[in-house]
Amino acid sequence: MSFVDSIAAGLSLVGNIESFLALFIGVAIGVIGGAIPGMSATMAVALTLPFTFAMQPITGILLLLGVYKGGIFGGSIPAILIKTPGTPASSATILDGYPMAEKGEAGRALGMALWSSCTADVISNLSLILFAGWLASFALSFGPPEFFTLILFSLTIIAGVSGESLLRGALSALLGLLLATIGLDLVYGTNRFTFGDPNMMGGLNFIAVLIGLFAIPEILAMVWHPTAHVGKARSLGKNWVTFAEYRRSFKSIVRGSFIGVFLGSIPGIGAAPSAFLSYSEARRTSKNRDNFGKGEIEGVAASEAGNNGVAGATLIPLLALGVPGDVITAIIIGAFMIHGLQPGPMMFILNVDIIYGLFIGLIVSSVFLFLIGTVAIRGFKYVADIPKRILIPAVLVLCIYGVFAVNNNIFDVGVMFVMGWVGFLMVRYHIPAAPFLIAFILGPLLEDNFRQSMLMSGSDPTILLRGPITWFFWTMTLLTIIAIVRAGVRAVKNTPLFDETPEN
Amino acid sequence: MTQRQVQMRLGLGALFASLFLAFFAIPTWVSSPSNVGNVILSPLFWPYALAGFTGLTGCGLVFSGLRQSRHGPPVNAPSEQPGAAWLRLVGMALIMGLTMVLLPRLGMVLTSMLVFVSTALLVRTRHLITALVCAVVVPLVLYAFFAHVAGVAIPQGNLLRLP
Repeated sequence: MSFVDSIAAGLSLVGNIESFLALFIGVAIGVIGGAIPGMSATMAVALTLPFTFAMQPITGILLLLGVYKGGIFGGSIPAILIKTPGTPASSATILDGYPMAEKGEAGRALGMALWSSCTADVISNLSLILFAGWLASFALSFGPPEFFTLILFSLTIIAGVSGESLLRGALSALLGLLLATIGLDLVYGTNRFTFGDPNMMGGLNFIAVLIGLFAIPEILAMVWHPTAHVGKARSLGKNWVTFAEYRRSFKSIVRGSFIGVFLGSIPGIGAAPSAFLSYSEARRTSKNRDNFGKGEIEGVAASEAGNNGVAGATLIPLLALGVPGDVITAIIIGAFMIHGLQPGPMMFILNVDIIYGLFIGLIVSSVFLFLIGTVAIRGFKYVADIPKRILIPAVLVLCIYGVFAVNNNIFDVGVMFVMGWVGFLMVRYHIPAAPFLIAFILGPLLEDNFRQSMLMSGSDPTILLRGPITWFFWTMTLLTIIAIVRAGVRAVKNTPLFDETPEN
Repeated sequence: MTQRQVQMRLGLGALFASLFLAFFAIPTWVSSPSNVGNVILSPLFWPYALAGFTGLTGCGLVFSGLRQSRHGPPVNAPSEQPGAAWLRLVGMALIMGLTMVLLPRLGMVLTSMLVFVSTALLVRTRHLITALVCAVVVPLVLYAFFAHVAGVAIPQGNLLRLP
């Protein structure tokens, strides 16, 4: 199928009101979800997921992608107005956005955040279209040993989402891998940790685990501390961003977008480091570098370009290799699976219409983001005013309905509650939840490809080194592990021994 | 709870979990056919490997915990009234437990209404009237969507049967 044919097939799939409406609603939900402090884009995507079950695959996935895109931008609104990032990716936006808000220039900062977000979004989407197909065609020659080494390498991304402690991230990932073993054995069909319960034979439901890990702990945290501080929205001011300011920051925006594309296409790095790197590069090269941190509009532009540049690029490994780059794409991969689609190189052959439909949808989402973002900036006050102690019970009820709807099974609601408590304990003990989820998804794939390789070779492990692709992934895995160990050793060296204090 | 306590508790917990898995859980709850030729292909191999890695991670956590200061700052902000906070958590656990019991009996809509009201009261909402209105409206709207748009067979219960 030629490129034009593929585009035509994609257009025929998404060229209807339903798809664009889903995308529009998705962006709106994302912006609102991202703008509510404590809600986050991840939670918004997780809570929207059950609503996609009844939709056509393309419509449902477009809705989720809309939430993702909207959520990343939405997070910058409270970051600028109340110094509370709606998403971790918006942390860098605070550095100059909040000082601008304090000077009565919140509207200007938000305007620039929107313009740079949309520009970065377009660049990121174009990169996705350009690179995903190329990577997928390369991945077509992969067999089980190549996939095993690729997934093993992807598991090292856990280092990137482990936060303050790599060991705690590893523990979280192991917990995820262990939970993924529940159910019938992939080769022999024997029971593993099913306790004789037929509900457990298919394994734990992904959506129940996901919502339990990400939404229920927020509810329990609210129960633990119901009067957690909620910031006050401030006025937007009278100044708005001008085209001259956009043009002045354009270089930083484009640079930040490409930083986002590069870091986003590597699984596990995520939007927050990209935003900070883009910000620091802008500060290093800007004529106004002394003004950075005091309310410099170019700083807002750079950090927003950095975090939005990631959004499209994280879909490159997802679509081309079937490997989620971060938590949100891990949720989106779940949506693909629920609709009977397996992201990866074969999808570019079997479902090329869906792939190109998604590309078209993503390009349109940038336009929707601009339109909805403009309205959202003015309407944020109302979003921030939703009483959190009304929102939380509503989220709980939504979780119950959503999880039940996956399999029409009350057992899944119970799994969600149990995972919620697990998630709450993880929060209390500062164990990151992202490695758990990524390992829960990749675990069965890793085991399946490993055992298929062993079956192919008659249990000869040298099959795992059978060609340049496996060597490449082994080298990458080893290099990543060396880097992680070096960073760990450095961290240990910097930790004071026993009760040693700086004075002694 | 200091950083050291967190690392130590997690490390010891991981070590205990590893031993529990290796010596009790896997032999008891993972079955394998007797004719498996190679240990690598056995359904037991993967769980045992994970149990081993869990043990190693536990050792790492204990080691890193031992290196940390005993008197570090607490990792979690202290609660103003820890007793009341724990009671609320117990209350939430009860709500979740009762939800599981009531769902097949009262149906999802009525149970959700009760869950909404009880959770709102538990988090001490200041908007009681709004909470009551939302407790009725939110489950009904969700029922309308899931039952009539998504085609999900929402449990109805014996007390209330909705169209």
